[in-house]
Parts: sequence; structure tokens; C-alpha cells
Amino acid sequence: MTALLEIDDLRVVRPDTALPVLDRFSLTLNPGETVVMLGDADSGKDIVLCFLDGLSARGDEFSGTIRFNEGDAKQAARKPRPPFTVAYLPGTASRPLNPRISAVSQLARVIARKLECPRGAALAEFRGALARLAGAPSFELLDAPPERLDDVSLTWALLAAACATAPALMLCDHPFLDLSPSVAHTLTDALLAEQKRLNFAILYAARGPQSALRLGARTLVLRQGRIVEENDAAHLLGGQTHAYTQALFKALPQPVVDKPQRSSARGEPLLQVQGLGLNTPLKKAVRAKDALSFELRRGASLALVGEDGSGRRALMRAVLGLERKPGRILFDAVDLNLLSEAMTARLRRRVAFVSSNDDALDPRMTIWDTVDEPLRAHLQLSRDLTAGYRDAALKRVGLASYDGRRTVASLSPFDRRRLMVARAIVSAPLLVVVDEPLRGLDAVAQTTTCDLLMDFRAEQQSAFLVITSDFAVAQALADEAMVFEGGRVVERGQIRNLLANPKESATKALVEAAAIRPLSQAPGAV
Amino acid sequence: MWRFALRESGRFVLGLFGALLMAAAIASLTSSSHGLIADLAAIVTRLFAFLRLDFGASAISGADAAQELAAHAPVTLTLIFLGLALAIVLGAPFGLLLSSAPVRRATAPVIQVVSAAPVFCAGLALAFVARKFLGWAPGNGEFPPVQQVLHPDQSALRLVMMPALTVGLAGMAAIQVALRRSASEAQGEPFREGLRRLGLSALEIDRAYVAPMVFAGLFQSFGEVVAALLSAAVVSEWVFKCPGAADLFVKSVALHDWNVAALILFFFASIVLFANFFGRLVSEAIVSVGRSA
Amino acid sequence: MSPAPLLRKFLIAVGWSGLGLVAIAVVLSDFLARAPAGAGHVGPILTPPSSLFPFGTDQLGRDILSETLHALNVTVIHALPAAFLAIAAGSVFGFVAARLPAPIRLPTRWAMGVFAAVPSLLLAILLIGLTNRDYAAAAAGLAAAPLAFVRVFDRARVSANSAHAAYARATGIAPSALLRRDLAYEVRDALLVTAARAFAAVTIILSTVSFLGFGAVPPHRDFGLMIAAAKPVYVQAWWTASFPVLSLLVLVLLARLAAGLDEGERA
Repeated sequence: MTALLEIDDLRVVRPDTALPVLDRFSLTLNPGETVVMLGDADSGKDIVLCFLDGLSARGDEFSGTIRFNEGDAKQAARKPRPPFTVAYLPGTASRPLNPRISAVSQLARVIARKLECPRGAALAEFRGALARLAGAPSFELLDAPPERLDDVSLTWALLAAACATAPALMLCDHPFLDLSPSVAHTLTDALLAEQKRLNFAILYAARGPQSALRLGARTLVLRQGRIVEENDAAHLLGGQTHAYTQALFKALPQPVVDKPQRSSARGEPLLQVQGLGLNTPLKKAVRAKDALSFELRRGASLALVGEDGSGRRALMRAVLGLERKPGRILFDAVDLNLLSEAMTARLRRRVAFVSSNDDALDPRMTIWDTVDEPLRAHLQLSRDLTAGYRDAALKRVGLASYDGRRTVASLSPFDRRRLMVARAIVSAPLLVVVDEPLRGLDAVAQTTTCDLLMDFRAEQQSAFLVITSDFAVAQALADEAMVFEGGRVVERGQIRNLLANPKESATKALVEAAAIRPLSQAPGAV
Repeated sequence: MWRFALRESGRFVLGLFGALLMAAAIASLTSSSHGLIADLAAIVTRLFAFLRLDFGASAISGADAAQELAAHAPVTLTLIFLGLALAIVLGAPFGLLLSSAPVRRATAPVIQVVSAAPVFCAGLALAFVARKFLGWAPGNGEFPPVQQVLHPDQSALRLVMMPALTVGLAGMAAIQVALRRSASEAQGEPFREGLRRLGLSALEIDRAYVAPMVFAGLFQSFGEVVAALLSAAVVSEWVFKCPGAADLFVKSVALHDWNVAALILFFFASIVLFANFFGRLVSEAIVSVGRSA
Repeated sequence: MSPAPLLRKFLIAVGWSGLGLVAIAVVLSDFLARAPAGAGHVGPILTPPSSLFPFGTDQLGRDILSETLHALNVTVIHALPAAFLAIAAGSVFGFVAARLPAPIRLPTRWAMGVFAAVPSLLLAILLIGLTNRDYAAAAAGLAAAPLAFVRVFDRARVSANSAHAAYARATGIAPSALLRRDLAYEVRDALLVTAARAFAAVTIILSTVSFLGFGAVPPHRDFGLMIAAAKPVYVQAWWTASFPVLSLLVLVLLARLAAGLDEGERA
């Protein structure tokens, strides 16, 4: 078979760096083949994608050769353009579209440019591509500005547009990052189906091994611009050679059915919910089938598992008094319905948040101010008195070496996540709400963050409310789970029971998405 | 779009009412003060009079305040429209050129130097050029009628050009600032790189997506541009002795002719409020064009 | 977008250094000037710039260099309290008003929006007319305040609805603590910029109202009055207006540089 492209010994040097940002990179890609480039943000994956897309940064110096199809090997320094159609599939996290212009309109323009056809024809191609993708939203739904679309719909649109150009090569740039495992699973299946139909090659950049394993592809592990290991994903799952690859695969969350579980019978009830109607207007009576009742004891941990928009956050807002709903909610034996807004706010002083929203922390604040604000604001302690607690918390999360006067704006998403944990530690909360704690982080950062939260839970004895779409994360941080779909709880129970014997289709889909092998193939462990 | 238009209309009407209230408060100064309650009653009386289109009489000439405004407003409006036309025709293309990324950084200090000059300094400089190099005699309180401005002869040109240029320079500076502000906002948007990587050219992205954002931003600031033109009109009429409403306002305040001063202030505030309203509507229309395919 | 960070810091340093020199010149103006303010017949009338009179003399034989120094003194002395008033009645008031309950916040925003619709120059003329020329500085400060109020108010509302404000409220941080936090960072990040910007704005307003005859009272002439006095003769004697105009330009420019060349600057 004639290779679609052969890159030999590609080296890239940036003007402001001493070491090359990509070195000795070689790749042969055949038509219809998938190769995954696995590594963190500065591993060099982006440089390869930009090189193939013809959009390298100015000043970058290239050496090495590249060959397309049966053509002659060309010098990489000339940045030769491929003689076939290359499609680019980005993730929504990079915000690739103008937020105020219709997604369909923008993508139709892209298709028209790629296919060199009129706009009407491009729209027809897009519509056709969308119709072929099982599970994609409708054309009419996508004819809206991206700021009004959710990430899942937008990702479907980007995938349809990429497929509509009938490419020979698709460059996938973390396309399903920050989506839930089940949604990523569905989108990956759709991508593979289109690949089979159109026979395009895929070069896929990923941060974690989940993507490689879902695609079942040849995997290049990159670190600091070099390939440190290369093998099929299935072989890598069985064992890794390089320490970095081992660290990446160690971060792979895996739900385990027979994992020993902490006792859920803990202290006094902290949170008691009785007859809560999430979908019921405030002044109306809650129907029996919609009423939700549960209890969370001190030191226990409950996971709210479901897709975005399934009702998990609505429940969280209700139990914290951020949004009034019909029903009875007792927080630390206090009925929230009897409290004023000001008193409810005071009650929330005993709640800590760890969120995946990078904008949750005030970017103007310093590291020190962020961590000790709960002590100064709630207890009116002076900075001298809070310094010891603050430094201890920063040490626990690994930020002690940072200059405390650095602002939050200068921190990476991983550092901000750890900073939230440090702030939570210092506030000694009764309840910790953890909302998609690993979203947006690379593999090693996910391991570290997960370990921090597990240590926090073990030492602090706070109750945990974990909001996630990943059962593996739920199992790591919680004992029990409630599965949400369409604003209702469809199933609940001990996590190991849910993993071993999911009854509802929503639960099954979530469990299967979290597992690396399908449930039906799992021998003993999932 | 209709909801937006309705909301903005409400804001415009509320703004007009506020301006009317302010004018009523100023006009009530013609009567002497008899305590807070009496003053408030005088303001309310004046407000109702304004709503009946009774704006009182000038304390100086005795004529209707509305008639005084009607006699002087065309001069000011002519200057503003001419200034706006100059600002758009000369300022907008120049502003777009200077607001593209690499040029914008380099020219930022230069733009600040230019915009640091108060309007009256620019007016004096233009009057100097007119008299010293063009030999044009200074204005003597005359201003050609609107019809003559549209088809000017040499004498009309001499009377109109420098004042209009003074106002136009202020408008150009305001347009510069607005364009640079919206261009810098558009520059930072991540979709520019995203669309490049998806396959569009930089020119196509700028033309199809960035330019509308920049123009929408310019129209958002239309009220500021008009306010700058009005301020410049005050100075321009003073320097070049044009018998406009702005000049009348200055004289009315100096002579404590509060009926006339109040009406002119309401007139100018209405112009700015309308410019804000119109600019926001156009901005929203530009943005909403691309909302659906 | 402002110039590159290093260039921006350099220009800010130039701005503040220049303002420092201006401050020294203001303090030492009586010492540096060869003649007292308004002193006529120091030299022949309408003398062009020379080694004896570097800025020339005007139609009353006044040394323009001395008059420029005195005008600088008067302009700055009037502009400082005006800037302070503009900050207090504009930026600070806007910052606080944005956090008040809606029944107070919304009418306040409406009223200040109406005042902001009136060009600052006209507002200043009106306020001076309602009081007298002795209150020109206060009038200029109050006239510049509505625009500053609207800018700070709208920015504060965005901040109040931001993700980090919601996060803080969700963890029980009281509104008063949020206010203190926002105030601390406004002061840290924006005080000098706000002060320099306000100074530039009121200087332009004050000099313009003086030019129109509403500002400084002779013999204490500021730049506006000085330029107005040169109006009958400056075509024949360009130096009578050029040096005060240049000095005024430099003063405003230094203040703008010290404010950091904010692209959002209104002309």
C-alpha cells in the first residue's frame, strides 16, 4: 500500500528556545489508518498538526523530509502543502468559531473553501454529512450562534463539517476533550464509521490514553518534542516501557467492581432532602414520582452521575439554597426554607467548592489571598494568624514553592484546581462539592488532582458531593451514586453494585463509557 | 432583534424624559427660590409646560425660546453633519488602516498625541492656516443657509470649511478611538486562529467576521462620537463666530437666560441619546445578520 | 490593544516622570519665572522668540515664558482638585452604586446616564453659569464625573455577575467582603490610571471653559485664558499662542501616557 504521508526525522527549532521543540519525529501514515499522538501540552503534537495544516508559527525552522503519496521526498523547510484535502477537527474548548455567527454559516463557508464550491452546495454537503452521523442534532438546531449551542452539539457540527469535505487526512486536535466519556464514546464511533466509509487517515492528538484505547490505534507517546514510545494501544494497555508512558496509563481511570469500599455508615446526617421536586415550580405540589429524598451523612460521599443538563447541578443548587425548589432540605439540621437569603449565605460558609470552571477564582487575587480568604472573611482572622494554615494547605497541594504574591491569572488550569483544593482545606468545610474535578486536565494532572481529593477526603472527614459524568471518577471519590437523566434520578445505590449490575439504560451507557473494555467482555473486573 | 429594539426604545424614551426633567430643573431657575417644596413644584410645573411644548421665552430677546433655537439650530446641525461626514469619509478608512494589528501598536502613541490636543487648539490652528496661508478673512457672525452649503460658492466655502473641519477633526479622533477599541477586542478573539486552522484565509476571516465586529463596535460608540462633535461645535462656533445653537447656549448661560439654555441643553442631550439609540440598533442589526445561515 | 508590555511600561514611566517634573515646575514657578504673573511691559510688545525672551512677548509686553509657567501653575492647581472630585463623584460613586440594591442602583444609573448624554464641556459651562467662575474647578470635576461613573458602574456590574463572584457567593463570602475585595483590587490596579485619566480630562475641560471665558479670572490666567488673550494677535505673532498650546498639549499628553495609553480612552 502507498503511504499517504511519510515524515522522516522532522525537527523544529523556535527562535526563542535553545532546545528543539520537536526532534527526530518520523511517521508513516497509510490511507484509512489511525495514529494517535499522546502527550501533554508541550509534547510537540500541536507543532505536527500545524505543520501538516500549513499554519506553522513564523520564525520556526524546519528540517527533515516529507513525502506525500508516491511523490518525491520534499524538504520540510519548504513547508510543502499536501496534494490532497486535509480536514481539521478541533475541540470546542479552543473556541474555534465566532460565537455570534451561526455555526452552520461558518462551517458552510469552510466547506465551500475546501471543496471550491458555491455556498448552496456547501450547505447541502453539510446537511448530508450531518444526516449520515448517527446521533447528531438537526441542521435547524445547529443554525444558531455557538454561544447558544452546547459543547456536544457544536462538536457534532465540527465533525460533520470535517467529514463533508471528504478528506484524505483528518487532523483531530483533542476533539472530544472535556466531553463526558459516554458522549466521547458515541462521537468516536461516529468518527470511525465515517472513516470506514470515506477511507481517510486520522492523525489524532490526545492528552490521555482513553482516546487511543477507544480508537484502538497505533500510538506515539511524545514528551518534550520526542517520541518516547510507540506501539498499538492494546499492547500499551498491557504494559508500558517508558516511565512517562507508565505515568500516563496510571492516570487512566478504571472503574473496578470489586474495589474495597469505605463504609457509608458515618456520622450524623449532614444533608437531608425530603420530597424535593427538581422539575416542579416553586409554589406547586411535587408529584410522588418526581419527589426526591436522600440523606448524606458527615464523612460520607455521594456522587451525582449523569450527562451535562441531566439535573445534577440543579440538585446541587437546590441543596445549597442557591435556588429555591419545592420540598424540604435540612442542612446540618437547619431547614433551608425557614432561612432568609442572608442566613443561607452564612450557612454556605461551611461549604467548599472544587470546580472545573477556570474562571471560578478571581484572577486578580494572589495565591495567598485566595487560600486564606475564607479564614479572613468568615472568622475575621488577621493575615498573621492565617499564614500558618495557609502555608500548610499550599504545601499539601504542592504549591508551596510558588511565590504567594503571584496572581491567579498567571496560573495554569491545573494550578488553579489545586488552589481550590488548598482553599477548601483551609476552610475545614462540612461539605465539599466537587464538580467535574478532572475536566480539562492532562493525564498526569488528573492523577495528581484525584489523589489530592482522595487524601483530602481521608484526612478531613468532610462529606463529599461529587458531580461527574465519569463513573471511574465517581468510584474514586464516592461510595454511593445517584444516576441522573432528564432532570430525574433514574437509579441509585452503592457504586460497586451499579457497576456490577446497572439496570437502567442511562446507567449502562455511563458505566460502559467509563470502562475501557465493554461490560460484556469484562472478565471479573469491568 | 425586535425584543432588543423594544428594550432600547424604552431606554431612549426614559433618557429623553430624564433630559426633559433636567431641562425643566434648569428652566425653573428663572423663578426665584422659595424653599425646597416650592422649587420642586416649580420644576414639575415646568415639566408639564414642556410636555405641552411651552418652553418659555428668552430673558434677553423676549422671543419664544423654541423660536430662538429654531433660528440657530440649523447652523449647529449643519456643522455636525458636515463634521460627521468628514469624520466618516476621512476618519473611518484611516482608522481601519491604523487599527490593523501591527500598525495599531506602533501608532498608539501617535494617536494619543493627536487626541491630546483640545479642540480649540485645533480650531485656532485651522483659523491660522485660513488667514495666514489662504488669506481668508475671519468670520463676522455670518453663516450661509443650508441650501448654499449644499452647493457652496467661494464665499460660502470660506465661511463653512474651517468650522466644519474643526468639528470633523474631533469626530475623526473619536472614530479613531472607537475603531481601535473594537479592533483590539476583535484581535483577541480565539476564533481567528480556529477558523484559520479550519481552512479559511486570514483575509476572508477579517472580511467576513472581524470587520462586522469592528463596525458593530464603532456603532456602539456612535453616541460618544456625536458627543465629541457637539463639544467641538461649541468651540468651533466660538472661534469662527458662527451664529449656531452651541454659541447661543454659551451666551445664554453667561447671561443667565435659563429658558433658552435649558431648551438647547435638552436638544443636545436628545441628539446624543438618539445617536446612542440608533448606534446600538445598527450594531445589533450588524451582529444579528449572521445569527442564522 | 495597548503597545507591547515593555513599551507600555516605559511610556507610563515617561508619563509619571514628566508629571513629576511638571509638579516641580509648578512649585518653583514663581522662582523660575523672571516676572510675576500678569506683569506687563517686561519687554517690548510682540517680540519674537530670542535669547532674551525665549518664548517672545505678547501685546502687553508680558514675557510669555514667565506667563506660561504661571499658567502651568494655575492650570495644575485647578486641575488637581477637579480630578479628585471627578474620581470621587465618578469612579468611586460608580463603584459603590453598582453594588447597591436594585431600587437605588437602577434610578442612579439612569440619572447619571442622562448627565453622561450631555457633553462634559456643556455640563461644565452650565455648572459654572449656575454658580460662578470661582467654582470652575468643581464644575469641571463634576462635569467629568458622569462618564467615569458610567464606565466604572458598567464594569462593576459585569464583575458582580462574573463566575468568580458567583463562586464567592456560593461559598458564603458576604457581599461586604466582596466589595472590600473589589475595592482593594481597583485601588491596586486602577487608582493611578484613573487619577491620570481624570487629570487629563479635567485639564482639557478647564482650559476650554477658560478659553470660552468661563474659567480662570485674570490676573490668575491658566492656559485657556492665555490662549484666548492671544487670539486677536496670534496670526501675526504666532508665538503668543503656540507656546501655551504646546505646553497644554504636553501636559495632557503626559497625563495620558501616565494612564497607560488605554485604547478605551475617550478623546
